[in-house]
Amino acid sequence: MIGPVEAYRDFGLQDHSCGVHGDPGDYRPRLAEFFREGLKRGLRVAYLGSGNVGELRDHLDSLVDIGSLPSHGAVQVISFDEIYGAGKPVDPTEVIERYAAATQEALADGYQGLRISADVTDLVRAPEQQDAFARCEFLLERYSSQHPLSAMCEYRLELGDAVTQFACMHAAVPAGLTPFQVFACDDGAVGLLGEFDQACQVAFERALQRIQPAPDDSQLIFDMSAVRFMDHHALLSLDSYAEACQVPVFARSMPPIVCRVQRELGLEHLGQMHPGDL
Amino acid sequence: MRTGAARGQVGHFHEAGFYGSDTEFRALIVPFVEEGIAAGEPVIIGYDGRKNALVHSWVTDPSAVTFLADNSLYATPARAIAAYRRLFELHVARGAGQIRITGELGHPGNGGNFEGWDRYEAAVNTVWEDFPVWGLCLYDAATAPAAVIDVVERTHPRIVSPSGTRHANSRFQEVADFEALPPTPDPLEDTVPTIELVDASAAEARRVLVQVGRGHVADTILNELLIGVSEAVSNALTHGRAPSTVRIWATPDRLVISVHDPGRGPADPLAGLVPAAGRTATLGLGLWLIHQLDIDVTLKHADDGFTVRLRGDTTMG
Repeated sequence: MIGPVEAYRDFGLQDHSCGVHGDPGDYRPRLAEFFREGLKRGLRVAYLGSGNVGELRDHLDSLVDIGSLPSHGAVQVISFDEIYGAGKPVDPTEVIERYAAATQEALADGYQGLRISADVTDLVRAPEQQDAFARCEFLLERYSSQHPLSAMCEYRLELGDAVTQFACMHAAVPAGLTPFQVFACDDGAVGLLGEFDQACQVAFERALQRIQPAPDDSQLIFDMSAVRFMDHHALLSLDSYAEACQVPVFARSMPPIVCRVQRELGLEHLGQMHPGDL
Repeated sequence: MRTGAARGQVGHFHEAGFYGSDTEFRALIVPFVEEGIAAGEPVIIGYDGRKNALVHSWVTDPSAVTFLADNSLYATPARAIAAYRRLFELHVARGAGQIRITGELGHPGNGGNFEGWDRYEAAVNTVWEDFPVWGLCLYDAATAPAAVIDVVERTHPRIVSPSGTRHANSRFQEVADFEALPPTPDPLEDTVPTIELVDASAAEARRVLVQVGRGHVADTILNELLIGVSEAVSNALTHGRAPSTVRIWATPDRLVISVHDPGRGPADPLAGLVPAAGRTATLGLGLWLIHQLDIDVTLKHADDGFTVRLRGDTTMG
Protein backbone atom coordinates (compact mmCIF):
# COMPACT_ATOMS: atom_id res chain seq x y z
CA MET A 1 0.00 0.00 0.00
CA ILE A 2 1.45 3.31 -1.10
CA GLY A 3 -0.02 6.75 -0.51
CA PRO A 4 -2.54 8.29 1.86
CA VAL A 5 -4.43 5.78 4.00
CA GLU A 6 -8.16 6.22 4.37
CA ALA A 7 -8.88 3.00 6.28
CA TYR A 8 -6.45 0.88 8.28
CA ARG A 9 -7.23 -2.54 6.91
CA ASP A 10 -6.17 -4.93 4.19
CA PHE A 11 -2.47 -4.35 4.73
CA GLY A 12 -0.15 -6.68 2.85
CA LEU A 13 2.78 -8.75 4.03
CA GLN A 14 5.25 -5.97 3.27
CA ASP A 15 3.36 -2.79 4.11
CA HIS A 16 4.98 -0.11 6.21
CA SER A 17 2.36 2.27 7.54
CA CYS A 18 2.27 5.21 9.89
CA GLY A 19 -0.57 6.00 12.24
CA VAL A 20 -1.16 9.03 14.42
CA HIS A 21 -3.37 9.16 17.48
CA GLY A 22 -4.19 11.53 20.27
CA ASP A 23 -5.95 9.04 22.48
CA PRO A 24 -4.84 5.41 22.92
CA GLY A 25 -8.44 4.55 22.18
CA ASP A 26 -7.82 5.57 18.57
CA TYR A 27 -4.84 3.22 18.26
CA ARG A 28 -6.55 0.22 19.85
CA PRO A 29 -8.93 -0.75 17.02
CA ARG A 30 -6.25 -0.24 14.38
CA LEU A 31 -3.83 -2.44 16.29
CA ALA A 32 -6.43 -5.15 16.82
CA GLU A 33 -7.41 -5.17 13.16
CA PHE A 34 -3.76 -5.14 12.05
CA PHE A 35 -2.86 -8.09 14.25
CA ARG A 36 -6.00 -10.13 13.52
CA GLU A 37 -5.50 -9.75 9.79
CA GLY A 38 -1.85 -10.69 10.20
CA LEU A 39 -2.67 -13.83 12.12
CA LYS A 40 -5.22 -14.80 9.49
CA ARG A 41 -2.48 -14.47 6.89
CA GLY A 42 -0.23 -16.78 8.86
CA LEU A 43 2.08 -14.09 10.17
CA ARG A 44 3.73 -13.84 13.54
CA VAL A 45 2.64 -10.59 15.16
CA ALA A 46 4.76 -8.67 17.63
CA TYR A 47 3.93 -5.74 19.84
CA LEU A 48 6.87 -3.55 20.82
CA GLY A 49 7.08 -1.21 23.75
CA SER A 50 8.88 -0.16 26.90
CA GLY A 51 9.17 -2.52 29.87
CA ASN A 52 9.70 -6.20 30.46
CA VAL A 53 7.82 -9.02 28.83
CA GLY A 54 5.22 -9.21 31.56
CA GLU A 55 4.51 -5.51 31.47
CA LEU A 56 4.28 -5.55 27.70
CA ARG A 57 1.86 -8.48 27.71
CA ASP A 58 -0.30 -6.60 30.18
CA HIS A 59 -0.12 -3.49 28.04
CA LEU A 60 -0.99 -5.37 24.88
CA ASP A 61 -3.84 -7.01 26.75
CA SER A 62 -5.15 -3.59 27.68
CA LEU A 63 -5.05 -2.50 24.07
CA VAL A 64 -6.34 -5.63 22.39
CA ASP A 65 -8.45 -8.50 23.62
CA ILE A 66 -5.43 -10.78 23.71
CA GLY A 67 -7.54 -13.69 24.80
CA SER A 68 -9.12 -13.78 21.42
CA LEU A 69 -5.73 -14.05 19.74
CA PRO A 70 -3.83 -17.31 19.51
CA SER A 71 -0.74 -17.61 21.63
CA HIS A 72 2.13 -20.15 21.58
CA GLY A 73 4.52 -18.01 19.57
CA ALA A 74 2.15 -16.41 17.12
CA VAL A 75 1.82 -13.33 19.30
CA GLN A 76 5.01 -11.90 20.73
CA VAL A 77 6.00 -8.90 22.74
CA ILE A 78 9.41 -7.34 22.21
CA SER A 79 11.07 -4.75 24.37
CA PHE A 80 12.24 -1.56 22.71
CA ASP A 81 15.60 -2.17 24.39
CA GLU A 82 15.95 -5.43 22.48
CA ILE A 83 15.56 -3.73 19.12
CA TYR A 84 16.76 -0.19 19.66
CA GLY A 85 19.39 -0.84 22.33
CA ALA A 86 19.28 0.31 25.89
CA GLY A 87 20.79 3.56 27.07
CA LYS A 88 22.85 4.32 24.01
CA PRO A 89 22.30 6.18 20.74
CA VAL A 90 20.19 4.33 18.20
CA ASP A 91 22.22 2.73 15.41
CA PRO A 92 19.85 2.48 12.41
CA THR A 93 21.84 -0.28 10.72
CA GLU A 94 21.85 -2.43 13.84
CA VAL A 95 18.13 -1.82 14.36
CA ILE A 96 17.31 -3.10 10.88
CA GLU A 97 19.57 -6.10 11.38
CA ARG A 98 17.56 -6.98 14.48
CA TYR A 99 14.27 -6.61 12.62
CA ALA A 100 15.69 -8.75 9.84
CA ALA A 101 16.72 -11.40 12.33
CA ALA A 102 13.26 -11.38 13.91
CA THR A 103 11.69 -11.71 10.48
CA GLN A 104 13.94 -14.63 9.56
CA GLU A 105 13.15 -16.28 12.87
CA ALA A 106 9.43 -16.01 12.16
CA LEU A 107 9.96 -17.61 8.76
CA ALA A 108 12.10 -20.35 10.32
CA ASP A 109 9.32 -21.04 12.82
CA GLY A 110 6.92 -21.63 9.95
CA TYR A 111 5.16 -18.28 9.74
CA GLN A 112 4.63 -16.38 6.50
CA GLY A 113 6.45 -13.39 7.92
CA LEU A 114 6.49 -10.91 10.79
CA ARG A 115 4.06 -8.13 11.54
CA ILE A 116 4.98 -5.52 14.14
CA SER A 117 3.43 -2.48 15.73
CA ALA A 118 4.44 -0.01 18.39
CA ASP A 119 3.71 3.45 19.70
CA VAL A 120 7.20 4.88 19.25
CA THR A 121 6.46 8.36 20.54
CA ASP A 122 8.68 8.00 23.59
CA LEU A 123 11.60 6.92 21.41
CA VAL A 124 11.57 10.10 19.34
CA ARG A 125 10.60 12.71 21.90
CA ALA A 126 14.15 14.02 22.34
CA PRO A 127 15.26 16.04 19.29
CA GLU A 128 18.71 14.42 19.36
CA GLN A 129 17.08 11.01 18.83
CA GLN A 130 14.95 12.04 15.88
CA ASP A 131 17.51 11.91 13.10
CA ALA A 132 18.62 8.37 13.89
CA PHE A 133 15.03 7.21 14.26
CA ALA A 134 13.97 8.74 10.96
CA ARG A 135 16.88 6.91 9.34
CA CYS A 136 15.54 3.72 10.96
CA GLU A 137 12.16 4.40 9.37
CA PHE A 138 13.74 4.75 5.93
CA LEU A 139 15.73 1.53 6.34
CA LEU A 140 12.63 -0.24 7.66
CA GLU A 141 10.69 1.02 4.64
CA ARG A 142 13.36 -0.37 2.34
CA TYR A 143 13.64 -3.69 4.18
CA SER A 144 9.89 -4.28 4.31
CA SER A 145 9.58 -3.59 0.59
CA GLN A 146 11.67 -6.67 -0.09
CA HIS A 147 10.97 -8.96 2.88
CA PRO A 148 7.83 -10.22 4.62
CA LEU A 149 7.90 -7.62 7.37
CA SER A 150 4.86 -5.42 7.78
CA ALA A 151 4.79 -2.62 10.31
CA MET A 152 2.37 -0.10 11.73
CA CYS A 153 4.31 2.66 13.46
CA GLU A 154 2.23 4.81 15.76
CA TYR A 155 3.00 8.35 16.85
CA ARG A 156 1.06 10.50 19.26
CA LEU A 157 -0.19 13.93 18.24
CA GLU A 158 1.59 15.52 21.21
CA LEU A 159 4.79 15.41 19.11
CA GLY A 160 3.32 18.17 16.98
CA ASP A 161 4.95 18.95 13.65
CA ALA A 162 7.83 16.60 14.44
CA VAL A 163 5.57 13.71 13.44
CA THR A 164 5.72 14.57 9.77
CA GLN A 165 9.46 13.89 9.49
CA PHE A 166 8.79 10.27 10.44
CA ALA A 167 5.47 9.96 8.65
CA CYS A 168 6.98 10.98 5.31
CA MET A 169 9.30 7.96 5.48
CA HIS A 170 6.38 5.49 5.27
CA ALA A 171 4.72 4.14 2.15
CA ALA A 172 1.31 4.50 3.79
CA VAL A 173 0.36 7.49 5.95
CA PRO A 174 -2.86 9.13 7.14
CA ALA A 175 -4.32 11.41 4.47
CA GLY A 176 -3.32 15.04 4.91
CA LEU A 177 -0.48 14.42 7.38
CA THR A 178 2.38 15.13 5.00
CA PRO A 179 2.40 16.68 1.52
CA PHE A 180 5.03 14.23 0.33
CA GLN A 181 6.27 10.73 1.04
CA VAL A 182 9.44 8.77 0.47
CA PHE A 183 8.90 5.09 -0.10
CA ALA A 184 10.80 2.06 -1.30
CA CYS A 185 9.99 0.59 -4.70
CA ASP A 186 10.05 -3.17 -5.26
CA ASP A 187 13.13 -2.90 -7.47
CA GLY A 188 15.19 -0.92 -4.96
CA ALA A 189 14.46 2.56 -6.30
CA VAL A 190 13.44 5.29 -3.88
CA GLY A 191 9.94 6.45 -4.70
CA LEU A 192 8.79 10.02 -4.21
CA LEU A 193 5.09 10.78 -3.89
CA GLY A 194 3.02 13.93 -3.58
CA GLU A 195 3.76 17.62 -3.91
CA PHE A 196 7.12 19.22 -3.24
CA ASP A 197 7.22 22.99 -2.96
CA GLN A 198 8.55 25.80 -0.81
CA ALA A 199 6.12 25.01 2.01
CA CYS A 200 7.76 21.63 2.66
CA GLN A 201 11.25 22.41 1.40
CA VAL A 202 12.90 22.17 4.81
CA ALA A 203 11.16 18.86 5.46
CA PHE A 204 12.22 17.49 2.08
CA GLU A 205 15.85 18.48 2.56
CA ARG A 206 15.77 16.79 5.96
CA ALA A 207 14.26 13.68 4.43
CA LEU A 208 16.94 13.59 1.75
CA GLN A 209 19.64 13.60 4.41
CA ARG A 210 18.20 10.35 5.71
CA ILE A 211 18.21 8.53 2.40
CA GLN A 212 21.27 6.44 1.73
CA PRO A 213 22.01 4.02 -1.08
CA ALA A 214 22.02 0.40 0.04
CA PRO A 215 25.56 -0.86 0.77
CA ASP A 216 25.82 -2.89 -2.43
CA ASP A 217 24.08 -0.40 -4.73
CA SER A 218 26.14 1.01 -7.57
CA GLN A 219 23.54 3.72 -8.19
CA LEU A 220 20.51 5.28 -6.58
CA ILE A 221 17.32 5.83 -8.54
CA PHE A 222 14.52 8.18 -7.56
CA ASP A 223 11.24 7.03 -9.06
CA MET A 224 9.13 10.13 -9.63
CA SER A 225 6.05 8.59 -11.23
CA ALA A 226 3.95 9.46 -8.16
CA VAL A 227 5.14 13.07 -7.95
CA ARG A 228 2.28 15.44 -8.69
CA PHE A 229 4.33 18.64 -8.46
CA MET A 230 7.93 19.57 -7.72
CA ASP A 231 9.22 23.12 -7.73
CA HIS A 232 12.71 24.38 -8.43
CA HIS A 233 13.72 24.35 -4.76
CA ALA A 234 13.10 20.63 -4.47
CA LEU A 235 14.75 19.86 -7.81
CA LEU A 236 17.85 21.80 -6.81
CA SER A 237 17.89 19.88 -3.53
CA LEU A 238 17.80 16.61 -5.46
CA ASP A 239 20.64 17.86 -7.62
CA SER A 240 22.69 18.78 -4.54
CA TYR A 241 21.93 15.37 -3.07
CA ALA A 242 23.17 13.76 -6.28
CA GLU A 243 26.35 15.83 -6.16
CA ALA A 244 27.12 14.71 -2.63
CA CYS A 245 26.07 11.07 -2.99
CA GLN A 246 28.84 8.47 -3.23
CA VAL A 247 27.09 6.71 -6.14
CA PRO A 248 25.51 8.14 -9.31
CA VAL A 249 21.94 9.33 -8.74
CA PHE A 250 19.24 9.17 -11.40
CA ALA A 251 15.63 10.25 -11.67
CA ARG A 252 13.16 8.19 -13.66
CA SER A 253 9.53 8.62 -14.72
CA MET A 254 9.57 12.36 -14.16
CA PRO A 255 6.11 13.83 -14.89
CA PRO A 256 5.96 16.43 -17.69
CA ILE A 257 5.36 19.35 -15.32
CA VAL A 258 8.52 18.44 -13.37
CA CYS A 259 10.49 17.83 -16.58
CA ARG A 260 9.58 21.35 -17.64
CA VAL A 261 11.16 22.91 -14.54
CA GLN A 262 14.10 20.52 -14.67
CA ARG A 263 14.81 21.51 -18.27
CA GLU A 264 15.08 25.19 -17.40
CA LEU A 265 17.30 24.56 -14.39
CA GLY A 266 19.74 22.41 -16.36
CA LEU A 267 20.62 20.19 -13.40
CA GLU A 268 24.25 19.14 -13.42
CA HIS A 269 24.35 16.11 -11.16
CA LEU A 270 20.96 14.40 -11.18
CA GLY A 271 20.94 12.01 -14.13
CA GLN A 272 17.88 11.14 -16.15
CA MET A 273 16.90 7.53 -16.63
CA HIS A 274 14.72 6.92 -19.64
CA PRO A 275 12.62 3.87 -20.53
CA GLY A 276 14.93 1.19 -21.82
CA ASP A 277 17.91 2.34 -19.76
CA LEU A 278 19.41 -0.39 -17.66
CA MET B 1 40.74 42.83 -29.94
CA ARG B 2 37.69 44.94 -30.67
CA THR B 3 37.26 46.93 -33.85
CA GLY B 4 35.20 49.88 -35.09
CA ALA B 5 33.40 52.28 -32.78
CA ALA B 6 33.67 49.78 -29.93
CA ARG B 7 37.47 49.62 -30.12
CA GLY B 8 38.90 49.85 -26.61
CA GLN B 9 35.51 49.37 -24.97
CA VAL B 10 34.77 46.73 -22.35
CA GLY B 11 31.58 44.70 -22.16
CA HIS B 12 28.42 45.43 -24.07
CA PHE B 13 28.67 48.42 -26.41
CA HIS B 14 24.97 49.18 -26.76
CA GLU B 15 23.99 51.54 -29.52
CA ALA B 16 20.70 52.60 -31.15
CA GLY B 17 19.88 54.14 -34.48
CA PHE B 18 16.69 55.35 -36.16
CA TYR B 19 15.95 55.13 -39.85
CA GLY B 20 13.10 56.45 -41.96
CA SER B 21 13.71 54.50 -45.17
CA ASP B 22 15.47 51.44 -46.56
CA THR B 23 18.23 53.78 -47.74
CA GLU B 24 18.84 55.00 -44.21
CA PHE B 25 18.58 51.45 -42.88
CA ARG B 26 21.24 50.43 -45.40
CA ALA B 27 23.47 53.35 -44.43
CA LEU B 28 23.30 52.26 -40.80
CA ILE B 29 23.68 48.53 -41.13
CA VAL B 30 26.04 47.86 -44.03
CA PRO B 31 29.15 49.50 -42.49
CA PHE B 32 28.45 47.67 -39.24
CA VAL B 33 28.25 44.32 -41.00
CA GLU B 34 31.09 44.82 -43.48
CA GLU B 35 33.49 45.99 -40.77
CA GLY B 36 32.67 42.89 -38.78
CA ILE B 37 33.16 40.55 -41.73
CA ALA B 38 36.46 42.22 -42.59
CA ALA B 39 37.67 41.80 -39.00
CA GLY B 40 36.60 38.16 -38.88
CA GLU B 41 34.11 38.90 -36.10
CA PRO B 42 30.87 36.95 -35.72
CA VAL B 43 27.98 39.05 -37.04
CA ILE B 44 24.42 38.11 -36.02
CA ILE B 45 21.41 39.71 -37.64
CA GLY B 46 17.82 39.46 -36.41
CA TYR B 47 15.27 41.45 -38.40
CA ASP B 48 12.05 40.43 -40.07
CA GLY B 49 12.20 38.37 -43.26
CA ARG B 50 12.12 41.36 -45.61
CA LYS B 51 14.90 43.26 -43.89
CA ASN B 52 17.02 40.15 -43.46
CA ALA B 53 16.71 39.61 -47.22
CA LEU B 54 17.72 43.21 -47.92
CA VAL B 55 20.82 42.90 -45.77
CA HIS B 56 21.60 39.58 -47.43
CA SER B 57 21.56 41.31 -50.83
CA TRP B 58 23.58 44.35 -49.70
CA VAL B 59 26.60 42.75 -48.03
CA THR B 60 29.60 41.38 -49.91
CA ASP B 61 29.72 37.99 -48.19
CA PRO B 62 26.39 37.05 -46.62
CA SER B 63 27.71 33.56 -45.91
CA ALA B 64 29.90 35.15 -43.22
CA VAL B 65 26.80 36.47 -41.43
CA THR B 66 24.37 34.61 -39.18
CA PHE B 67 20.76 35.50 -39.99
CA LEU B 68 18.34 34.64 -37.21
CA ALA B 69 15.27 33.47 -39.07
CA ASP B 70 13.77 31.75 -36.07
CA ASN B 71 11.91 34.17 -33.82
CA SER B 72 11.73 31.60 -31.00
CA LEU B 73 14.88 33.17 -29.56
CA TYR B 74 12.72 36.20 -28.82
CA ALA B 75 9.93 34.23 -27.15
CA THR B 76 10.43 36.10 -23.88
CA PRO B 77 12.95 38.73 -22.74
CA ALA B 78 14.50 36.40 -20.16
CA ARG B 79 14.90 33.62 -22.71
CA ALA B 80 16.44 36.01 -25.24
CA ILE B 81 18.97 37.17 -22.65
CA ALA B 82 19.84 33.57 -21.76
CA ALA B 83 19.98 32.40 -25.40
CA TYR B 84 22.29 35.24 -26.39
CA ARG B 85 24.50 34.55 -23.39
CA ARG B 86 24.95 30.96 -24.57
CA LEU B 87 25.72 32.22 -28.07
CA PHE B 88 28.28 34.70 -26.76
CA GLU B 89 29.93 32.05 -24.60
CA LEU B 90 30.28 29.86 -27.67
CA HIS B 91 31.87 32.60 -29.77
CA VAL B 92 34.22 33.73 -27.02
CA ALA B 93 35.29 30.11 -26.50
CA ARG B 94 36.11 29.99 -30.20
CA GLY B 95 38.31 33.04 -29.80
CA ALA B 96 36.08 35.89 -30.99
CA GLY B 97 37.49 39.29 -30.04
CA GLN B 98 34.10 40.92 -30.59
CA ILE B 99 30.60 39.76 -31.44
CA ARG B 100 28.34 42.06 -33.43
CA ILE B 101 24.58 41.70 -33.12
CA THR B 102 21.93 43.86 -34.68
CA GLY B 103 18.17 43.64 -34.74
CA GLU B 104 14.85 45.33 -34.10
CA LEU B 105 12.49 44.19 -31.40
CA GLY B 106 8.84 43.58 -32.07
CA HIS B 107 6.44 46.42 -31.28
CA PRO B 108 2.93 47.40 -32.35
CA GLY B 109 4.34 49.26 -35.35
CA ASN B 110 5.77 46.10 -36.91
CA GLY B 111 3.11 43.66 -35.74
CA GLY B 112 4.84 42.67 -32.52
CA ASN B 113 4.34 43.16 -28.81
CA PHE B 114 6.75 45.40 -26.93
CA GLU B 115 5.35 44.68 -23.46
CA GLY B 116 8.22 43.58 -21.20
CA TRP B 117 10.88 44.31 -23.81
CA ASP B 118 11.53 47.77 -22.38
CA ARG B 119 13.09 46.02 -19.37
CA TYR B 120 15.10 43.86 -21.77
CA GLU B 121 16.58 46.88 -23.52
CA ALA B 122 17.52 48.33 -20.12
CA ALA B 123 18.84 45.05 -18.73
CA VAL B 124 21.19 44.20 -21.58
CA ASN B 125 23.30 47.20 -20.61
CA THR B 126 24.51 45.16 -17.64
CA VAL B 127 23.72 41.46 -18.11
CA TRP B 128 26.11 41.04 -21.03
CA GLU B 129 28.96 42.97 -19.46
CA ASP B 130 31.07 39.80 -19.41
CA PHE B 131 31.19 39.67 -23.21
CA PRO B 132 32.80 41.81 -25.94
CA VAL B 133 29.46 42.50 -27.63
CA TRP B 134 28.54 45.36 -29.91
CA GLY B 135 24.77 45.57 -30.03
CA LEU B 136 23.29 47.84 -32.68
CA CYS B 137 19.52 48.26 -32.31
CA LEU B 138 17.96 49.88 -35.35
CA TYR B 139 14.36 51.04 -35.18
CA ASP B 140 12.08 52.26 -37.96
CA ALA B 141 11.17 55.76 -36.80
CA ALA B 142 8.18 55.79 -39.15
CA THR B 143 6.45 52.78 -37.61
CA ALA B 144 7.71 52.55 -34.02
CA PRO B 145 5.22 54.14 -31.59
CA ALA B 146 6.37 57.17 -29.62
CA ALA B 147 6.50 55.14 -26.40
CA VAL B 148 8.88 52.65 -28.03
CA ILE B 149 11.11 55.41 -29.39
CA ASP B 150 11.14 56.94 -25.92
CA VAL B 151 12.24 53.64 -24.38
CA VAL B 152 14.93 53.14 -27.01
CA GLU B 153 16.29 56.60 -26.27
CA ARG B 154 16.33 55.90 -22.53
CA THR B 155 18.00 52.50 -22.79
CA HIS B 156 20.87 53.06 -25.20
CA PRO B 157 23.93 54.99 -24.02
CA ARG B 158 24.92 55.82 -27.58
CA ILE B 159 23.08 56.90 -30.71
CA VAL B 160 24.29 56.52 -34.29
CA SER B 161 22.72 58.38 -37.20
CA PRO B 162 22.40 57.26 -40.85
CA SER B 163 25.17 59.71 -41.70
CA GLY B 164 27.46 57.73 -39.44
CA THR B 165 27.86 60.30 -36.70
CA ARG B 166 27.85 58.96 -33.16
CA HIS B 167 27.13 60.70 -29.90
CA ALA B 168 26.57 59.90 -26.26
CA ASN B 169 22.88 59.85 -25.43
CA SER B 170 21.91 62.42 -22.81
CA ARG B 171 18.53 60.74 -22.21
CA PHE B 172 20.10 57.42 -21.25
CA GLN B 173 19.02 56.00 -17.88
CA GLU B 174 21.20 53.49 -16.03
CA VAL B 175 19.37 50.23 -15.40
CA ALA B 176 18.89 51.05 -11.73
CA ASP B 177 17.16 54.33 -12.66
CA PHE B 178 15.20 53.04 -15.63
CA GLU B 179 11.50 53.79 -15.48
CA ALA B 180 9.70 50.90 -17.15
CA LEU B 181 6.54 51.40 -19.17
CA PRO B 182 3.35 50.81 -17.19
CA PRO B 183 1.91 47.40 -18.07
CA THR B 184 -1.20 47.37 -20.19
CA PRO B 185 -4.18 46.38 -18.05
CA ASP B 186 -6.06 43.29 -19.10
CA PRO B 187 -9.80 44.06 -19.43
CA LEU B 188 -10.57 40.94 -17.41
CA GLU B 189 -8.82 42.45 -14.41
CA ASP B 190 -11.66 45.00 -14.14
CA THR B 191 -14.21 42.22 -13.80
CA VAL B 192 -15.09 39.97 -10.88
CA PRO B 193 -12.62 37.08 -10.86
CA THR B 194 -13.82 33.55 -11.28
CA ILE B 195 -12.25 32.81 -7.93
CA GLU B 196 -10.24 34.69 -5.33
CA LEU B 197 -8.01 33.15 -2.67
CA VAL B 198 -6.56 35.01 0.30
CA ASP B 199 -3.35 33.81 1.96
CA ALA B 200 -3.63 30.51 0.13
CA SER B 201 -0.70 28.12 0.03
CA ALA B 202 0.97 27.38 -3.28
CA ALA B 203 -0.57 23.90 -3.17
CA GLU B 204 -4.05 25.35 -2.70
CA ALA B 205 -3.52 27.80 -5.56
CA ARG B 206 -2.41 24.95 -7.84
CA ARG B 207 -5.39 22.81 -6.84
CA VAL B 208 -7.87 25.60 -7.53
CA LEU B 209 -6.22 26.55 -10.81
CA VAL B 210 -6.58 22.98 -12.05
CA GLN B 211 -10.24 22.98 -11.03
CA VAL B 212 -10.99 26.32 -12.64
CA GLY B 213 -8.66 26.18 -15.62
CA ARG B 214 -8.70 22.65 -17.00
CA GLY B 215 -10.08 22.61 -20.54
CA HIS B 216 -9.74 26.36 -21.08
CA VAL B 217 -6.20 26.16 -22.50
CA ALA B 218 -3.92 23.36 -23.68
CA ASP B 219 -2.65 21.09 -20.90
CA THR B 220 0.90 22.22 -21.64
CA ILE B 221 -0.10 25.85 -21.04
CA LEU B 222 -2.02 24.90 -17.89
CA ASN B 223 1.19 23.27 -16.64
CA GLU B 224 3.11 26.46 -17.39
CA LEU B 225 0.53 28.45 -15.42
CA LEU B 226 0.71 25.96 -12.54
CA ILE B 227 4.48 26.34 -12.35
CA GLY B 228 4.11 30.11 -12.54
CA VAL B 229 1.40 30.48 -9.92
CA SER B 230 3.24 28.14 -7.57
CA GLU B 231 6.44 30.19 -7.77
CA ALA B 232 4.57 33.50 -7.50
CA VAL B 233 2.58 32.41 -4.44
CA SER B 234 5.68 30.95 -2.77
CA ASN B 235 7.46 34.27 -3.36
CA ALA B 236 4.54 36.28 -2.00
CA LEU B 237 4.38 34.15 1.14
CA THR B 238 8.15 34.14 1.64
CA HIS B 239 9.23 37.61 0.57
CA GLY B 240 5.99 39.64 0.42
CA ARG B 241 3.57 40.85 3.05
CA ALA B 242 0.25 39.41 4.13
CA PRO B 243 -2.37 39.19 2.93
CA SER B 244 -1.49 37.68 -0.41
CA THR B 245 -4.31 37.40 -2.91
CA VAL B 246 -4.63 35.06 -5.87
CA ARG B 247 -7.27 35.95 -8.44
CA ILE B 248 -8.13 33.75 -11.39
CA TRP B 249 -10.22 34.79 -14.38
CA ALA B 250 -11.28 32.00 -16.69
CA THR B 251 -12.93 32.52 -20.07
CA PRO B 252 -13.53 29.79 -22.65
CA ASP B 253 -10.16 30.47 -24.28
CA ARG B 254 -8.11 32.38 -21.72
CA LEU B 255 -6.79 32.21 -18.18
CA VAL B 256 -5.56 35.28 -16.35
CA ILE B 257 -4.03 34.94 -12.89
CA SER B 258 -2.80 37.67 -10.59
CA VAL B 259 -0.80 37.06 -7.44
CA HIS B 260 -0.72 40.21 -5.34
CA ASP B 261 0.71 41.19 -1.99
CA PRO B 262 0.93 44.61 -0.32
CA GLY B 263 4.74 44.48 -0.17
CA ARG B 264 7.03 46.47 -2.41
CA GLY B 265 8.13 43.55 -4.55
CA PRO B 266 11.70 42.94 -5.69
CA ALA B 267 13.85 46.05 -5.72
CA ASP B 268 16.22 44.60 -8.29
CA PRO B 269 15.33 46.10 -11.70
CA LEU B 270 16.61 42.90 -13.31
CA ALA B 271 14.33 40.67 -11.22
CA GLY B 272 13.14 37.78 -13.33
CA LEU B 273 15.32 38.59 -16.31
CA VAL B 274 18.42 36.83 -15.04
CA PRO B 275 18.86 34.11 -12.42
CA ALA B 276 20.06 35.07 -8.99
CA ALA B 277 23.81 35.03 -8.62
CA GLY B 278 25.00 31.62 -7.43
CA ARG B 279 23.17 28.36 -7.90
CA THR B 280 22.46 27.95 -4.19
CA ALA B 281 20.82 31.34 -3.86
CA THR B 282 17.19 30.65 -4.58
CA LEU B 283 16.17 34.27 -4.09
CA GLY B 284 15.20 35.49 -7.53
CA LEU B 285 15.34 32.09 -9.17
CA GLY B 286 11.58 31.62 -8.90
CA LEU B 287 10.88 34.88 -10.73
CA TRP B 288 13.48 33.98 -13.34
CA LEU B 289 11.82 30.60 -13.83
CA ILE B 290 8.43 32.30 -14.27
CA HIS B 291 9.96 34.40 -17.03
CA GLN B 292 11.17 31.29 -18.86
CA LEU B 293 7.63 29.93 -19.24
CA ASP B 294 5.67 29.90 -22.48
CA ILE B 295 3.04 32.26 -21.11
CA ASP B 296 2.63 36.01 -20.84
CA VAL B 297 4.23 37.34 -17.64
CA THR B 298 3.95 40.85 -16.26
CA LEU B 299 5.36 42.33 -13.05
CA LYS B 300 3.48 45.33 -11.67
CA HIS B 301 4.81 47.63 -8.97
CA ALA B 302 2.13 49.99 -7.65
CA ASP B 303 1.30 51.98 -4.54
CA ASP B 304 -0.89 49.16 -3.26
CA GLY B 305 1.76 46.48 -3.66
CA PHE B 306 3.36 44.08 -6.06
CA THR B 307 1.57 41.85 -8.55
CA VAL B 308 2.66 39.03 -10.80
CA ARG B 309 0.24 38.57 -13.68
CA LEU B 310 0.24 35.36 -15.69
CA ARG B 311 -1.78 34.88 -18.86
CA GLY B 312 -2.34 31.85 -21.05
CA ASP B 313 -4.68 31.34 -23.97
CA THR B 314 -5.59 28.88 -26.68
CA THR B 315 -3.15 30.38 -29.15
CA MET B 316 -0.28 29.19 -26.96
CA GLY B 317 1.10 25.70 -26.65
